[in-house]
Amino acid sequence: MFCLETYLRESEDYEIHMTRTGFKDCAKFIEENAPEVVHVKPGEKIVGARIIGIPPVPIGINEEKGTIMLPYTKPCYGSATVEIPVPPEEREKIRAVGID
Amino acid sequence: MKKAIILLGCPESPSQTPLAVYATNKLTGMGYKVDVASTPSAKKLLEVSDPEEHYIKNKIDIETCLDELEEGDYDLLLGFVHKDAAVSYFVTFYHILNTKSLALVFHRDSEKLEYYGNSVIENTNADIVSARAYHNPTPLRVRLDRALDKLTKEDVTVKEKVEEDN
Repeated sequence: MFCLETYLRESEDYEIHMTRTGFKDCAKFIEENAPEVVHVKPGEKIVGARIIGIPPVPIGINEEKGTIMLPYTKPCYGSATVEIPVPPEEREKIRAVGID
Repeated sequence: MKKAIILLGCPESPSQTPLAVYATNKLTGMGYKVDVASTPSAKKLLEVSDPEEHYIKNKIDIETCLDELEEGDYDLLLGFVHKDAAVSYFVTFYHILNTKSLALVFHRDSEKLEYYGNSVIENTNADIVSARAYHNPTPLRVRLDRALDKLTKEDVTVKEKVEEDN
């Protein structure tokens, strides 16, 4: 199973669009820049990690690139917007838990 | 036994650790089994503050806790909210647990204090204790005492009603 924490630790194939910012700015960036946006409840498990944020939490999906864009929050570092490649089945799982 | 979780944020605010010890002591006195969820750095401050675990018996890692958290695990969520990330964590824990919740919102800057308080109000039905505080824990402690007194009275009312119904 895909695990976000492990992936970010062990891979270099990801893009950080914003870092050490507020959740609201991360959410706005995803809404404005992702070709497809799925909204989920905070606490939903996305790529093996609980998503942290203010509802509804936007997750960006780029089918062409095979990536997702999501807010990533840590207590001392604020929120970042991370774009990572994920397998097609993980993108489908995200659509399945969408609340739109 | 009722269970409470105290959610700590980044430990950079000096008021957080003493208030965490204080709140744990109060809640234990109210009959709660208290877990304190924190980052490793906030946990170290608790370990030095309460080395023999007189007050804080159960310290848990915030990430592990979040990963395993389910609705019904706790009867009360008490969260320290003094950063943007802490708002996100509190709101997330609130939505997973779906239980009685109290946010301790504090900051030295009044605009940020208002923003964090409003974010909690807009996204949860939690009770809020809010004060401008940084080094001095007293303004928040006084408001926390009032909120916990209110909680005790509500618990007594619920208990009396259950006994009446039976």
